[in-house]
Amino acid sequence: MKKTAILAALAATLAITSMAKAEDMVFTSWGGTTQDAQKAAWADKFAAESGVNVLMDGPTDYGKLKAMVEAKGVTWDVVDVEGDYAVQAGAQGLLEPLDFKVIDKTKLDPRFVTDYSVGSFYYSFVIGCNKDAVAECPKTWADLFDTAKFPGKRTFYKWSAPGVIEAALLADGVTPDKLYPLDLDRAFKKLDTIKSDIIWWSGGAQSQQLLASAEAPFGSFWNGRLTALAADGMTVETSWEQNITAADSLVVPKGAKNKEAAMKFIALASSAQAQADMATATGYAPTNTDSPALMDAKIAGTLPDKQTASQVNADMNYWAQHRDEIGTRWYAWQAK
Amino acid sequence: MSNASSTSALVVRAPRRNLLPKTLGPAMPALILLFLFFVLPVVSLLLRSVLEPEPGLSNYATLLGSETYLRIFLNTFLVSALVTVLSLLIGFPVAWTLAIMPAHWSRIVFAILLLSMWTNLLARTYAWMVLLQRTGIVNKTLMNLGLIDQPLTLVNNLVGVTIGMVYIMLPFIILPLYGVIRRIDPAILQAASLCGATRWQSLWRVLVPLAAPGMAAGALMVFVMSLGYFVTPALLGGTSNMMLAELIAQFVQSLVNWGMGSAAAFVLLVVTLALYALQLKLFGTSQMGGR
Repeated sequence: MKKTAILAALAATLAITSMAKAEDMVFTSWGGTTQDAQKAAWADKFAAESGVNVLMDGPTDYGKLKAMVEAKGVTWDVVDVEGDYAVQAGAQGLLEPLDFKVIDKTKLDPRFVTDYSVGSFYYSFVIGCNKDAVAECPKTWADLFDTAKFPGKRTFYKWSAPGVIEAALLADGVTPDKLYPLDLDRAFKKLDTIKSDIIWWSGGAQSQQLLASAEAPFGSFWNGRLTALAADGMTVETSWEQNITAADSLVVPKGAKNKEAAMKFIALASSAQAQADMATATGYAPTNTDSPALMDAKIAGTLPDKQTASQVNADMNYWAQHRDEIGTRWYAWQAK
Repeated sequence: MSNASSTSALVVRAPRRNLLPKTLGPAMPALILLFLFFVLPVVSLLLRSVLEPEPGLSNYATLLGSETYLRIFLNTFLVSALVTVLSLLIGFPVAWTLAIMPAHWSRIVFAILLLSMWTNLLARTYAWMVLLQRTGIVNKTLMNLGLIDQPLTLVNNLVGVTIGMVYIMLPFIILPLYGVIRRIDPAILQAASLCGATRWQSLWRVLVPLAAPGMAAGALMVFVMSLGYFVTPALLGGTSNMMLAELIAQFVQSLVNWGMGSAAAFVLLVVTLALYALQLKLFGTSQMGGR
């Protein structure tokens, strides 16, 4: 009798666990404040609406994603990746095509939509400057590359990604319409001129720390990070002159176990309200064109697209095709 | 009763013989674990390095034929050697002092050493980042004392990596050295001074030669550990003095070029094993950990 009861209890537990499993999905992003905001604006809301429990994982790791797909043991359902990687991975067959019957793309910024991805959020590389630490702030990329006029350390994004190469070329006088295909020789030659004055930042928090401590009193930053510093009371000067936009994307790895839930999750995450909430919380920009209207007018005013200065869009397709080539060269140059 | 007592007598006598394993049986769980989670992955790593993107040794040719990658190899050895030498220079006096200190004092020093060792590596490395930056305490103190006019660049370069790594490696050299120095009979040093040796002579001609095996074991351990170090060089170093582990991480995570990543990892493994073999040959297993 007792034995049967235990067995029954076991069976019930198993049933519950497998049921819970079926109702779970995994969202992977880069951790930190960005993922906290994504959880609050997207995952919690999705869980409440659909009853699907969204588990958080991270940080995003392209090596791990590839390993999962190859081993056919995909444990991630929706992943936040860099925009150029999304284009490349889609072409390499590592991603599920998105179901645009579930996801409404009519309101999504077309700059960040492909068959395999939609924009997660987007940002601009802008010139930030700690006004308390220096007499004059660099206004253009050319200024930022001018060590005679602006001596001292400057900080740039460490990883090979759209942004720094473009900044170097713009600083060297290339006009935005002639940026692509990227003239790597010219870019690296320009970068060589300031190499010993560069401190690299590898994550958003580090970039803020470098600027706030004046370890590097100016540099190239994600706009949202400067907005956050200003909100904390720091005197930051932001120059939007030729700000360079790039985006993160939401993708579903090939063979994801909860594909249906993943599509619904992305549908919610890219909706106007969810994108507005995410943008309000992080200072990054929404990829849904209806979102700015739903945001506090003051915050919406700080978004990249609301700036009057000229804007340069990094070419994700170009980057996707040349990602490996540029990356190899980039890291070899850094190590020199 | 007699039956029971003879059994217990057997039980008392039996263990000594039974405890000596005649087969690998008792070690099997560990061996199986090692095989599944170390040997197999290493073999698959090696396979990837010669099979991706196409069969052949092209990955190794690229790795060893490129000036950049050779520089990274060289830098890895250079940093490891520098860290080892500095750890020895700083660690030896500490180990010596610990060995001759009154026990209640040495216990306190040991507690400090071990506590720092048990504190999260990342947290300790971040702490150095804050201390060493241009506006950090070290630079501010030096400037307030009037010793320097401009802040020194102490992070994002070789200086930062070296300071951070020496600090982390110190316990690994102090502990084995302490063990060796403790076993040196103080009477030998007394004898040396009775025979007219100055303090300096006792140190160089008596203590150092006697402690040499411990120094060599500790140094080799620190060197080998430094070769594969990732966190500290990644956070405190600049890109121009990148170490091998960072290069491997870059290949695997950022460039998703597993062939190259595997090849670099395999080269590191071979170098490490070669050094380990050298250590065994020179000092035997008994000096591992300085016992």
